[in-house]
Parts: sequence; structure tokens; C-alpha cells
Amino acid sequence: MEVLERLLNVTLVIATIRTTAPILLVALGGSFTTKAGIFNIGLEGQMLVGAFFAVIGTIATGSPWLGVLCGIAAALTLALIFALLVVSFKANEVVVGLALNILAGGLTVSLMKAIFGTRGSIFGHGLVGLPPLKLPNVKDFGWFGQMISGYTPLVYAAFILVPVLILFYNRTRLGLYIRVVGEKPEAAEALGISITRIRYVSSLLCGLLAGLAGAHLALGYTTMFTENMSSGRGFMAVAILIFSNGDPLKILLGCLLFGFSDALSLRLQTLGISSYLVLAVPYLVALIALFALSYRSRPRAIQETLASMGRALSVKSNTIKPAAATDASKP
Amino acid sequence: MSDRFDSLFGQGLAILFALGLGALVILTVDESPVRVFVTLLNGAFGSPERIAGTLLQTTPILICGIAACISFRGGLFNIGIEGQLFMGGFWATWVGFSFNLPPALHLLLAMAAAVIAGMAWIAIPAFFRARYKTNEVVSTILANYVAILFTSYLTINWFKRSGGQSETPPILQSAYLPELFSFSRLNWGLVIGLVLAVGVYLFFTRTSRGYAVSEMGANPKFAEYGGIDIKKQTFLVLIASGAVGGLAGGVEALGVHHRFMEGFAPGFGFDGVIAALLANGNPIGTIFTALFFGALRSGSLLLEVDTTASREIITVIQALIILAVSAQITIRRKASDSTAGERRWKF
Amino acid sequence: MPLAIELKSITKRFGAFVANEDVNLAVESGKIHAIIGENGAGKTTLMNVLFGLLQPDEGEIWIDGEKKSLPNPAAAIDAGIGMVHQHFKLVPSLTVAENVFLGMEIRKGGLIDHAAQIKRTAELSKQFGLQVDPTERVGLLSVGIEQRIEILKVLARGARIIILDEPTAVLTPQESRELFQTLRGFVAQGMTVIFISHHLEEVMEVSDNVSVLRLGKNVATRPTAELTKSDLVQLMVGRLVSFDRLPRTPTIGKTVLEVEDLWARDDRRLPALRGVSFGVRAGEIVGIAGVAGNGQTELAEVLSGLRSSSHGSIKLNGRTITGASAREIRAAGVGHVPGDRLVRGVDRNASISMNLLMGRQDQSPWSTHGIINRNYLLEQTQALIKRFDIRARGPESTAKSLSGGNIQKIVLAREFTGSADCLLIDQPTRGVDIGAQESIHGEIMRQRDAGKAILLISVQLDELIRLADRILVMFGGTIMGEISGDRVDEEEIGMLMAGVVPEPRSNTLGAA
Repeated sequence: MEVLERLLNVTLVIATIRTTAPILLVALGGSFTTKAGIFNIGLEGQMLVGAFFAVIGTIATGSPWLGVLCGIAAALTLALIFALLVVSFKANEVVVGLALNILAGGLTVSLMKAIFGTRGSIFGHGLVGLPPLKLPNVKDFGWFGQMISGYTPLVYAAFILVPVLILFYNRTRLGLYIRVVGEKPEAAEALGISITRIRYVSSLLCGLLAGLAGAHLALGYTTMFTENMSSGRGFMAVAILIFSNGDPLKILLGCLLFGFSDALSLRLQTLGISSYLVLAVPYLVALIALFALSYRSRPRAIQETLASMGRALSVKSNTIKPAAATDASKP
Repeated sequence: MSDRFDSLFGQGLAILFALGLGALVILTVDESPVRVFVTLLNGAFGSPERIAGTLLQTTPILICGIAACISFRGGLFNIGIEGQLFMGGFWATWVGFSFNLPPALHLLLAMAAAVIAGMAWIAIPAFFRARYKTNEVVSTILANYVAILFTSYLTINWFKRSGGQSETPPILQSAYLPELFSFSRLNWGLVIGLVLAVGVYLFFTRTSRGYAVSEMGANPKFAEYGGIDIKKQTFLVLIASGAVGGLAGGVEALGVHHRFMEGFAPGFGFDGVIAALLANGNPIGTIFTALFFGALRSGSLLLEVDTTASREIITVIQALIILAVSAQITIRRKASDSTAGERRWKF
Repeated sequence: MPLAIELKSITKRFGAFVANEDVNLAVESGKIHAIIGENGAGKTTLMNVLFGLLQPDEGEIWIDGEKKSLPNPAAAIDAGIGMVHQHFKLVPSLTVAENVFLGMEIRKGGLIDHAAQIKRTAELSKQFGLQVDPTERVGLLSVGIEQRIEILKVLARGARIIILDEPTAVLTPQESRELFQTLRGFVAQGMTVIFISHHLEEVMEVSDNVSVLRLGKNVATRPTAELTKSDLVQLMVGRLVSFDRLPRTPTIGKTVLEVEDLWARDDRRLPALRGVSFGVRAGEIVGIAGVAGNGQTELAEVLSGLRSSSHGSIKLNGRTITGASAREIRAAGVGHVPGDRLVRGVDRNASISMNLLMGRQDQSPWSTHGIINRNYLLEQTQALIKRFDIRARGPESTAKSLSGGNIQKIVLAREFTGSADCLLIDQPTRGVDIGAQESIHGEIMRQRDAGKAILLISVQLDELIRLADRILVMFGGTIMGEISGDRVDEEEIGMLMAGVVPEPRSNTLGAA
């Protein structure tokens, strides 16, 4: 029992919210490209450059907020290249996405060595993280207050973006058009909606949030940059996008699941389980979820009896109208 | 014939363009591009030892590239070759230090272990892709992370050799993959790779099973119509790809390192995928692209020593080349080319 | 009467091919104007020019007495033209109202005002008698309702001239009648209607004027009342069409294919086959007639193993093959010429020889011990190119470099020269030029004479009349009736195709 108590408590919730935020941000970013019908596996790279340039920007300007902007700019650049090659040049999305990931990895380490002379990690150098936000009157709410206050700003941003995106997709023109382009490009074309333009915009929006996610990793979640910092979160986000189909609410649920497993597994380390196994848990959870949900959404074979066919017919009879039998009797 | 020349020419142009961009990147890290390229060449081909070193690096890239070619030909994207390589390498090593057998048998068994490990590692993603169309790109990439962590776990927590280093005990001599020359660790793995390349090429162009798989990759609806069992072939293609990935690990473990450690053969899986992409999935072409990347890798070791540029610069160059080539390939293709049956990227 | 539309000397070329040649078209305001013509006559091209989707190489467009330039559909819409395409472009996950207002959303404060869109959709629906539920998701609706939504889209944009491309191709006869009522309602309100059709009966029934296009030219424009059906057919084809059957000797043998009470669902999970039963004998061509979309495609797919049935049985030479895989069915002796030629029938990027190999790559002598016999393949390819008169540069030419007719010949060359007893042929001459059509028909007859059992599915009635020994008419997933090939009464067939049963039958038809 004591073990359970040690594992599950308010701090676990807090840890979950912390670990969920970066993957939530990048997955929400990915929802734009997903909904526009693009398979963007380059989220990992966009996040990575976002993190790196956020650190660079902060060190250069002294302000973490300007650093965030730098991170976003870097991710946007990658997103622009992706859009250019995939949308305009019609190159293969997977190839381009993977290449950009590799580019991001190589570029960040090369620059790290060139600028700081080391590889591995960058910290110090006057690096300032984002300030945690303390909500007013938090003490009055006890453990609940503890749970919702004290996070760095981008954590709040991540969760607030969920309803914002729901509104975006349902109530704004751009959101609607993105959905149309992804679901039925012919319809978009026929209506004079530029598929190219919409896909560029969704790629850039994706880059925006992915850069934000990276900046959060380097300035909010921690205050440093490490080689290969995103460590597969971008790919986990892709997994989430596959089975959520870009729906913001489902994305939230998926990300919470991973955030939880991530936070929980870190606690397991305190029980003496090898850190290697612990680190593998989030990936395993992602894999299991991917497989489980594919299994669940499989098309089911139908073994019909006439009776069940008849039932199906009567339910649908108002949508398919066979010739009115009454006419048959007319000469 | 001229069609092929056309595309090679265009690809050559793309590579030059990428190298140009790479030169710019090198400038931004305060180095001279000329110096970098010369150092790379020197490091790759500057002496017999260095040439052997290049071929040493080429071997795993080639084998991984063949693994990737197999999956591409079937219209599938096995990006998990890195993980299959790690698993193959580990289990080959395990057989290498756990048993005492006569040389040929020991080597064979260890290699078999590598191949089986690779197949086992891709089995679940392959099954789900074949049966439920689960996206294999994501599942194999995630599996990579698990493989690397898992093999590290096994190495450190279960099989660590005494003496403080993070590695397994060395394999017995009887499991060694023999070297080709005395002055280098270059081994018979290179020959295995070349034979595989030719064999896989012939398989896909000359055999009826290879034809079936190629059509499945090119136009799955047509293949299905012709009676090809898409589910079964999808599974088999991925398993074969995983087997070869495992084999690459086996070669590295038994021919080069003779033990397994953290950071075993890093990046060869991905390099193999890129080499295959650059060669358009052609196994024979992959021989050359793998050599190219092997040279880059080998040359980059000298880069770290002689210049201020880091060896990751070549990663950047590789990525730029892929990007440039991916754009070029489609400049020549007409937009009206894709039909319902040929577009296969589904969520 | 002012002219709503006047097209003057419109010419449109695609490379060397002239789709429209010096076409003059005058459409009177407030009338229903039909445009008819064979496949490839240039009807759709002309309408695309009118709608701004294509730019004419020469000629002028005058609308309501004013010369206009229509560089894109937006300009056409501005000019009051609306087009309802044959293939609907609706987004399934959006509601009716959202689809209607797609591209011209009603917004309030930057956000889409769904309530206003729903209200306006309901208003339009009432005004024009197009019954829809604005809040329903389009993905669940029938084709007839989808068409209404497409029309509402056009009306919502203030169209006064409405073009419909083959509107009744996907409708049941009841729905077609409702559509015509709607169209009459439009002209009563002063709008102009243009529709493209293949359906002579409908053209005669509902149009005021008709233009006939043939080979890119407008050969005639007349008030419909002045013409008879055979006048129209003559104008369309330029020769007196003889619905002549190809001569045949009775060669009919035992039953090869037996289908009993077959049920199956389509891709939308709606029932597509509802208890189909028939048999095909050796040396016989059984035709399946019917308007596209009545289950014929699904029938071919089920019989060839590409779609599963939910009830019923299929037997080949007495052996049950229900539920067998495509491979097993092929091995059992069934050849399939698919309706979806470019997706199913060939690999466009592969050579002719590679395309001919499909389905028999494991058989000797095409391969031995798993290795393809290249010499044999080359020989066979050359022989088949010769026999089927495939116009190509050589055996290594890629399929996509060939014309539609030649691509079809590759499919025939492959399917007709295997060891099949039974051939499923779906739309053999769709998109194929006249010359190739003749040779394809000849090949089919040859297969029949060689004793194969042939199921011939076609939306072209004259093709069936030419070739079939018996014709079964499909409507709504059932077989409405059977007609002997040598006693074809067009009216009888037409009625069956329309779902009308000539003589009294049991009540089961109305049970659904």
C-alpha cells in the first residue's frame, strides 16, 4: 500500500500534466497537417530545432520569450521546406519528413559543437527558463490549487489550445477548409479553395506549435538543450495522430495517456527498476495503443442471414428508394 | 535507356546542389568547405587502411540498405532497421559468448540468431501492418527506441562483463566472422553484403515471387485483382526486411566489434534507409550509395581530428542530398500521374 | 426571347486532339436545353468551358447578351452560371448546411454562423422544393439527396443558369421524375437549364430544345418536339444505327457459373446485391443490363473474389466457390476484365509484358521453379500484341503510353488466353474508340464460340444487344427480368431498367 501511495498522489497528477504538455503541443500542431491530408513524420525534427534555437535565442537575447520566438522561427523554417517539397514539388511525404528529422539532428549537434565547443548538453551560459506562473489565491484551493498552479506558461497554453482548436475546426473558415482539403480535395478544388495554399498554411501552423513544443522542452520542462532532446516524442505524437485522426479531444486523451505513463514510469525508477526499462515504457505504451486501436477499428466481416439483411433494409429504406411499387400496376 | 540516364543525370545535379548547400552550412560553422571536402576525401580514400576503413563502414550500411530495398519494393517503409540491427547484433553476440562450439557451426548459429532476432523484432509491426493496415513507419520507428533501450538493459543489467565497461563479455574466437585483410577489421560481411545485393536484385527482377511483390508495391489493387495475397506478402516482405536488418547487426557484432555495447553500430540502420532511398530502391544502386555514405562516415572521422567541423556535418549533407533528390524526382514526374490504386499513404 | 447563353465558334484543343471545333450554341432563356452526344463528342468539355474550368482556344462566350470572359469558375458563378457535376463533391463529415455554404460561409464576428446557414438552407429547400434536412451529415445520405444538395449549392450562389452533367445517371426512376419536376419549377421561375444526357427518353420527355454534338462539332440544335428518337440517334452517330446482332451459331453447353440468392454490401455498407440468382452456360454470353450503380460493379467484384458476399452461393462447374479468394477463383478458371481498368486491370507504369504476366506468374511455362522464363514471356507478348492488334512501340512499352483501347486489349489478351472457362467482362468498351470496339466485340464472340461461359456487364445497351444471347436487367441490386437476345424490345428493356415490372409479380418487390 505504501508503494501505491508513493506512486499515486497529487504530485503524480502534477507530473502528468508536466509531461503531457510538450507532446500535447506537438500533437496539436500535427493535427493541422493530419486534417489537411498530409502525413507529417517530421514533427520530431521540428520539435528538436525548436528546442535548440529557443536556447540559442534565449542566450543571445537574455529573454526566454524571445527565445521561444526563435524556436518557433526555426521550426517554421523546417515546416516551410517540408511544405515546399511535399506540396509544391509533390515529393514523398515520408522521405521528406525523415530527411528533415535527420537534418535537424545533424544540424543541432553541428551547431552546438561549433558555437559552444561541446556536444551533449547546453546549460548555463546565462540561459534563463520560462517563469512558472503562480495563480493568485492558490492556497485557498488546497491540493486542487496545488495542481493547477505553478506551471510554466506553455503548459497552460497547451491545454488551452485544445478547446481553441476545437473551435477552430468547427467554427472558422480556415479550419473548415483544412478539413475539406484533407477529407475531399475534389470538393475544395471545385469551390476554388486553393489546396496548395491550405496545405502550406497547415504545415506552417504545425511548425508553429511544434516549435512551441520544442521551446517548452528546453525552456519550460527543463532549462537546457540536450542532444536528441525530443527523444521520440514527435513519433509518439504521430502515433496519437493516427488513431485520433487529428481530433483535438482525442489527441488530448492520447497525450494524457502517454504523459501519465511517462510520469508513472519515472516513479517506478524509485522502486529500483532499471532506468532503461523505465524509459522504454512510453514507447511501449504508444505501440500498444497503436496496435490495440488498429485492431478495434478493423472492418468486420458480415455473416448475414436474410433476417438481418431485411432489418438493415428497413432501417435504410428512407434513404434508398426503389421504384414505387404502385406504378407497376399502371398500364 | 535514355530515360534512366536522364534520371541519373538529374539526380547527379540534385546531389551537386545539395553539396552546394552543404558548403554553405559548413561556412556557417566557420570552416572552409574546400578543406572539409578534401579532408573527407582524404579520410575516406587516403591510404589502403583508410580505404579498408571506408569499406568497413560501407558494409553495415549496404546490408541495411538492402533490407530497406526489400521493404520499399513491396511498397512498405521499414524504418525500424536500426532496431533490428541492434537486436540482431545483441543476440549474435550472446550466442557468441554463451556457447562453445566448433568454429563454422558457432559462426553459423550466431548469424542465425541475428537473423531470427531481426525477424522476431519486426514480427509484431509486420503482423499488424499486414492484417490491420497499421502504419508501419510509426510502429517500426517506435520499436527502434525500445530495441536500443532493451539491448542496453540486457547488456548492463544481465550480461555485463566484469571490469566496469558497459559491454558484454567478448565472443569466442570460434564465432568470429573472418577478416579479409590483416591490416583492417574489414571482414567477409562485405562479401555477404555484395552477394545479398545481387541476389535481391535478381530475386525482384527475375523470379515470379519477386514479380508478385513488385506489383504489390507498385499497384496493390492490380496485384490483389491478379490473385496475390496482399496480407501474406506484406507480412513476408517485412519479415524478410527485418531478417536482413538483423543480419547486418550480426555482421557488425561478429566481424567488427566481437562484443555488444551501448552505442553499438549507431546510425547504420538510418544510413541504410537513406542509401536505399537515394538508389531508388535498387539493390545494385544501393551498393554505390552505401559506398558513398560509407566514405562520408569514414572521412568524417578525420574531420573531427583535422577541422573544427563535427562529424554530424555529414549527417546534414546526407539529409540535404535526400531532400534535393526527392524534389528532383518529382519535377520530372507529371502531376497527373497518381491514380487511386497507386497512392498508398493512409493514416 | 433573349438568349441566356450564346457560344460563338468555340474551339478547344488538347494537344493535337480537337475536343470542340467551332461550336456555336444558342440557349434560350427560360427553357430546358439538352445536350446529347456519344462518348467523346465534346459535351463535358464544352460545359467546362462554359463554367470557366477550361479556357477556349478560340471563340466567344455571351451571357444574357453581354460578352464575358470566364477565366475560372468564380467568374462563371458571378455571371449567374451554376454547374452540378456528375460526380458529387460533398464532404461526408460535414452537414448539409455546411456543404451548401462551403466556400461562401455566413460569418458573424469572424466565426461561422451555423444557425444562419441552417436557416437559409431550409429556406432555399422550401422555395425550390428540394427536400433536405440541413443538420444531417452528408456521409449518411443517399445519392438522390446528395444531388439535391449539389443543386442547393448552386442555387445558394444565385445561379440563374443551371448546368447539369448526366444528372440521372445515378438516380432511380422515381428520383429522376422528381428531378424533372424540380427543373420545370426552375424554368417556371425564369431560370435556364442545360443538361447533358445519354438518356434519350429523358431528353425527349423533359427538354424544350436539344443540341447534338458529334466529334466535337454541334451538328444540330432543334426544338425537341420536332425530333424523334431515331432522328436523334442518327444525328449523334451519323449513320443509321442498326442494332444488329452479331451472327452466331448455337453452341450452348452445360452450366458453368451458378449464382444463387446472392447478397452483398457496397463500400458504404448499404445492400448492393439483394438476392441475385442466375446461371451462365458454356458457349453463352449472358448480358447484364442496367443503369450504372444498380449493383453491377459489386456483382463483378463478388464473383471475382474482390468483395465478400453476405449471403448466397456461387458455384463454378458444380464446385462451390463462395467466399473464395481472388487467387482461388482465378485458379478455378475464372477470368475477369474489370470495369476499373486503370486501377484494377493494369499496372500503368509497367511494360506490356509485365502486365500480361499477372495472375499466371507461378505457372509453367511462364516460370520454372520460380524463375520467370524471359524468352517465353517475350515470345508470348509479341504473339499477343499481334493477335490482339495492340498498337504499341514494342513489348516493353509502358501501359500508360497506350490509348484506352489498347490498354483494354492488354487486359483481354491476358484474360482471354488463360485457362479460364468463365469470363467476367465489365464495361469492355468504355472509353474505347469505335475501331477498337469492333475488334473487342469480335474477340468476345470468338471466346463465346470457343465454348467459354461469358458474363457481360455493360451500361451500353446496344453493345449487349449485339453480343448477348440473353440479357438480364439489373435494378436496385436485383434481377428485374430476362430478355432473349434475339427478341429485344427496347421499351421492355427500358422499363425493366427503370425498375418497372411489366407483368404482375409477387409482392416481394414492395416488401423492402
